[in-house]
Amino acid sequence: MNAADLPPELAQPATPGLMDAVRSIAQGSLAGRAYAIDRGAYPVDLLKQLAAAGAMSAHLEKADGTPGDYGLAILAMAEAAKVCGATGFMMWCQCVAGLYLQASGNPGLTGERLARHVRGETLGGTGLSNPMKSFAQIESLLLKATPVDGGYVVNGVLPWVSNLAPDHYFGAIAAVQTDGPGASREMMFMLRCNAPGVTLKTCPEFSGMEGTGTFSVHCKDLFVGADDIVADPAKPTIARIRGGFVLLQCGIAAGIIQGAIDSMWAVEGQLGHVNQFLEDRPADLQAEFDALAGRILKLAETPFDTSTDYFIDVLDARAHGAELCLRAANSALMHQGARGYLMGSEVQRRVREAQFVAIVTPAIKHLRKEIARLSAEEMPA
Amino acid sequence: MTLQPTPVSAAVQTLAPWQSYICHACGYIYNEAEGDPDSGLAAGTRFCDIPEDWACPLCGVTKSDFALYEAPSLDALRAQASDCATAAWTNTSRSAHGVVIVGAGRAGWQLAEAVRARDSAIPITIVTACAGDVYDKPLLSVALARRIAPEKLIKETGVAAARRLKLRLLPHTHAVRICKETRQLRTTRGTLRYDQLVLAHGAKALLPPALPAALCWRINHLGAYLKLREALGDAATTGPKDLLIVGAGLIGSELANDLALGGHRVTLLDVQGEPLARWHAAQAGSQVLQAWKDLPIRFVGGVKVANVERLALNAERLWHPQPAGTACAGQTTRLRITTECGQHFAADEVIVAAGLQTPSRLARSANLAWADGIAVDPHTLRTSDERIHAMGDCVTLDGQASRFIEPIFRQATTIAATITACAPVPYEVRPTIVRVKTTSLPLTLH
Repeated sequence: MNAADLPPELAQPATPGLMDAVRSIAQGSLAGRAYAIDRGAYPVDLLKQLAAAGAMSAHLEKADGTPGDYGLAILAMAEAAKVCGATGFMMWCQCVAGLYLQASGNPGLTGERLARHVRGETLGGTGLSNPMKSFAQIESLLLKATPVDGGYVVNGVLPWVSNLAPDHYFGAIAAVQTDGPGASREMMFMLRCNAPGVTLKTCPEFSGMEGTGTFSVHCKDLFVGADDIVADPAKPTIARIRGGFVLLQCGIAAGIIQGAIDSMWAVEGQLGHVNQFLEDRPADLQAEFDALAGRILKLAETPFDTSTDYFIDVLDARAHGAELCLRAANSALMHQGARGYLMGSEVQRRVREAQFVAIVTPAIKHLRKEIARLSAEEMPA
Repeated sequence: MTLQPTPVSAAVQTLAPWQSYICHACGYIYNEAEGDPDSGLAAGTRFCDIPEDWACPLCGVTKSDFALYEAPSLDALRAQASDCATAAWTNTSRSAHGVVIVGAGRAGWQLAEAVRARDSAIPITIVTACAGDVYDKPLLSVALARRIAPEKLIKETGVAAARRLKLRLLPHTHAVRICKETRQLRTTRGTLRYDQLVLAHGAKALLPPALPAALCWRINHLGAYLKLREALGDAATTGPKDLLIVGAGLIGSELANDLALGGHRVTLLDVQGEPLARWHAAQAGSQVLQAWKDLPIRFVGGVKVANVERLALNAERLWHPQPAGTACAGQTTRLRITTECGQHFAADEVIVAAGLQTPSRLARSANLAWADGIAVDPHTLRTSDERIHAMGDCVTLDGQASRFIEPIFRQATTIAATITACAPVPYEVRPTIVRVKTTSLPLTLH
């Protein structure tokens, strides 16, 4: 996202210091390690630096009650994702884990645990891919929670959860097993990866984004106590944070799109005479992206709007981001030619990052299905 | 001890700004500041100091294939690229995106017919949330009386009409947003580019906030009507149903008339004291009540519905005690309707006909002028965006909606003439004549 191309009121982030800090990390040590991260090196130190700089907590409400700044959180994520999409994605994981901790209102999660999370001393992720698809009627819940004295016992397997390590944690949702009649419900909790009964298993190799700390998580009789409960029942909390959850993801797309456009301009002087015959030229993509960025930052002003119309707008912005990612990354490769196709080139890495944005939950197809479901007129059954 | 003075030429060399050299073969840029450590060239190695046997680290060509590189200014590149884009645009006499129409009701199909009649080649795409089948909406008000089987309401399937008109139909597709800067229509089946966009998506039946959508039918298109007919069954074989219709305007009155003729018992409610109160001066209400005097229609005026709920089975028995054994498993319970003044009604189905409202999502997304509907120029039917027209139930002319069949054909003619660059056919607003299809005594209202 090029600040110079944004409307004036959006161009100046509220705390310019944060953007400078993120830019310095992104253009500095992150730039040199982006290839290694893509191939599998999990950058725990960089993530902690970014978190400590405030890059993954700008959206959180401040201690004095000042509302968080979702736009700033998205811009910060984009600044890193421009250099390394995987890092942008892990920043999103950390962002939403913080959102869960804060939204829980549970003193066991909001106090020192949230503070350490915000300072980047501890890292976390989100296992809501499956529940999101479950709520959109795409698949059923994989974790089951049985009520026991003082909490729940959880069983089941989540296939892919990112930004994890043995001492990390993530937000998860389980279907509560209840006997007899009564409405089914779900409960949301923070799953500690080092709790007894939890096993992290290495996933099969992906084509990119390998250094994202992604594991399958196996739960065998995992006890979840009151201190780890985010929301029970989960749905009211999900309804409140779903807009922000999806909207924050737009930061990853924004960075990848801008990175791709920048790499087109990088070869324009030398190759413009042939590149002019390509579709999706950088100026066209920039204009489309700037309009989208303006929309995203406008939506970021009211992240807790629970109206259907607002959520459709958020889903559509996220879908547009994914579609533009694919087009921009692909076009950048066409613009750069062979040099962009080199194994170490950021240009072809970005093609795989863009594909990730398009398939990670909510994938383009999920977004469209959910928009269609929310747009349909409800009638008697 | 004396210090050897630095030769002037060497000093100039050291102080000179770092240069970059580009490989003509692959585009690799050698930056003197960074050097090429992998090939043994330390950072700060001047290009001229590179041994002749050094090879480009990417493609292997030699030093002689490199030339001094000055990064061009981004502004200059942008200006140059935009000149090319302009040239490409003006060289194309007609770009290939054509006309995109949102809505496949009478208005959408009429426009497609009118455009295709004038231009056999222009690409036309119709995006519609429904199945896209062609039907006459007024027939929904008389289908039972005329004994038209539901499946006979479809005149031509959407697929067949699309094939006949050589257009692309995207059925069951929601239009989500117009990106007018890039002339894109975002939909749930992908993004369409357009040269001309025509909004013909109609209006949506209003549902007062107190009434739950899951319990109240609204009949404004064929899909909902067919589902209602399925829920009602055939009065002759499965018995008559008790129906409650909220709103005794044109649609509510026509539906009441037809459903009663179809053998069902109808209660018709309205906030006004008589049906068709909009045509009070023409005494429409008293005439229509006279026409209904032998039909199972009960009109209750001056009431406003406050609540609709599905009764629990036990509660319903208190209301409508049934002989033992009549309630069988799986039987659905009835609905209870409560008015603001405390009256209660029971019904098998509730239909709300409380007026129409244009959905604003698409218009809002393109910042189109809005006046209780999409505001269009009364002569050209153009919206505030020069590439977007609108017609039918979704538009207002001078703030007035006119949700009738008659203007649609003339509106389609006007817009099609503009889009296909034929001689303009300005639209003119004419007074509407309304035929109330209360079959036992049809009324004509002005």
